[in-house]
Amino acid sequence: MSAAGGLGLLVALQHGDSQFPSGGFAFSQGLEASSQLAERLGAFDFAGFMRAQIRHRWAEADRVALVRAHRLRGDLARLAALDREVEASTLVEGLRAGSRRNGAALLTTHARIGTPGAAAYRAMLRDGAAPGHLAVVQGLLWQALGLDEATAVAISGYQAAASLATAAVRLGLVGAIEAQAELARMLPLIETGSAAPVADDEPIRSFIPLAEIAVALHGAAGQRLFSN
Amino acid sequence: MDARLSPHGKTASRVGAARVGIGGPVGSGKTALIERLIPAFAARGVSLAIVTNDLVTAEDAERIRRSGLIDPARVAAVEAGACPHTVIREDPTLNIAAADELEARFPDAELILIESGGDNLASTFSLDLVDWWMFVIDVAGGDDIPRKNGPGVLKCDLLVVNKTDLAPYVGVDLPRMEAEATAARGGRPIVLTNCRKAEGIEAIADKILSAVLFR
Repeated sequence: MSAAGGLGLLVALQHGDSQFPSGGFAFSQGLEASSQLAERLGAFDFAGFMRAQIRHRWAEADRVALVRAHRLRGDLARLAALDREVEASTLVEGLRAGSRRNGAALLTTHARIGTPGAAAYRAMLRDGAAPGHLAVVQGLLWQALGLDEATAVAISGYQAAASLATAAVRLGLVGAIEAQAELARMLPLIETGSAAPVADDEPIRSFIPLAEIAVALHGAAGQRLFSN
Repeated sequence: MDARLSPHGKTASRVGAARVGIGGPVGSGKTALIERLIPAFAARGVSLAIVTNDLVTAEDAERIRRSGLIDPARVAAVEAGACPHTVIREDPTLNIAAADELEARFPDAELILIESGGDNLASTFSLDLVDWWMFVIDVAGGDDIPRKNGPGVLKCDLLVVNKTDLAPYVGVDLPRMEAEATAARGGRPIVLTNCRKAEGIEAIADKILSAVLFR
């Protein structure tokens, strides 16, 4: 955190808190689809799903986009270009649309509470000048709030895992207490993933083929609790 | 301390279409009420858009889109992620974004109805999301519902008691149920409806016009 003393930590806690309105509760990142299609796609277990998501999606794609967005220090035109890169690198429509909707929802809260850059970037979304992917929006907003790169990455990684754990509880895949044990086991993986250097032009790449196939199949089926 | 971490000022005010929430338990008749309200508002010259929150995908949104009563493009669906309370109260951002998008696409819209996913009596709307909201219960759910003092029944701007035609068949004393609901709400408004026969619909449309659109 760039801020001295306890205020930076408190700001990080506020923005890492799942109570911060961001729309994130409505997305399962393919967990619902993968768990329901296990018979067609092979064995499913929640811990394995979460590991794959953190290692092969969050660390290599979301985190990279977040870090690059953070380094752009509120340059909205370059953020929009990065945003389009995320759009192009996210294969499955369900995950791509979910990330855009989640980003737009987070911007909604920040525009209302007056976070610098939020209203202007939201206007760009409305004009079609930027897609509004979650990781890019997070990088813009958390940098604007004075959170340093490492803190922003930690919040992002924690939220990626915690939101999966919450979705798993609501889907009845694990109990609320077991979910916390799974989350705790995921924290070292997030730490390891956070340590990999990110170049300013680092490619955004993910490799979660089974989850992507599940989301694609599920999207066509039409009956689901979560947005993706 | 980084100056950017200073506490924010007041939240931004909003100018645009009025937003009215419609909450209530599963099966109480929220979607049927909307299907009756659409022509009632059309007759009053009110330009309308609708957001639905479905427990599963976009079932209610599709029903309204296919009704032929409204341009399907004016109906947006928001998935509630198995949390129908959360999406209208603790985290209404997806609904706000959906309503904002409708407003941007249809600048003539004066009123946006936001239907909650079926929920229980504890469900309430955030005033970040709506300007005014109603809660729909039905007589077949039992005449003891008003006595249970659920926040939905107590806090809404208008309580709608639907399916009044079923009262004799489910052993409900309708005048007593109405009296108990009125007492529980401290005299705040109640409307009795039978959506199947469009009874009580005009009263709700007029109430929204005067309370929300100031006509």
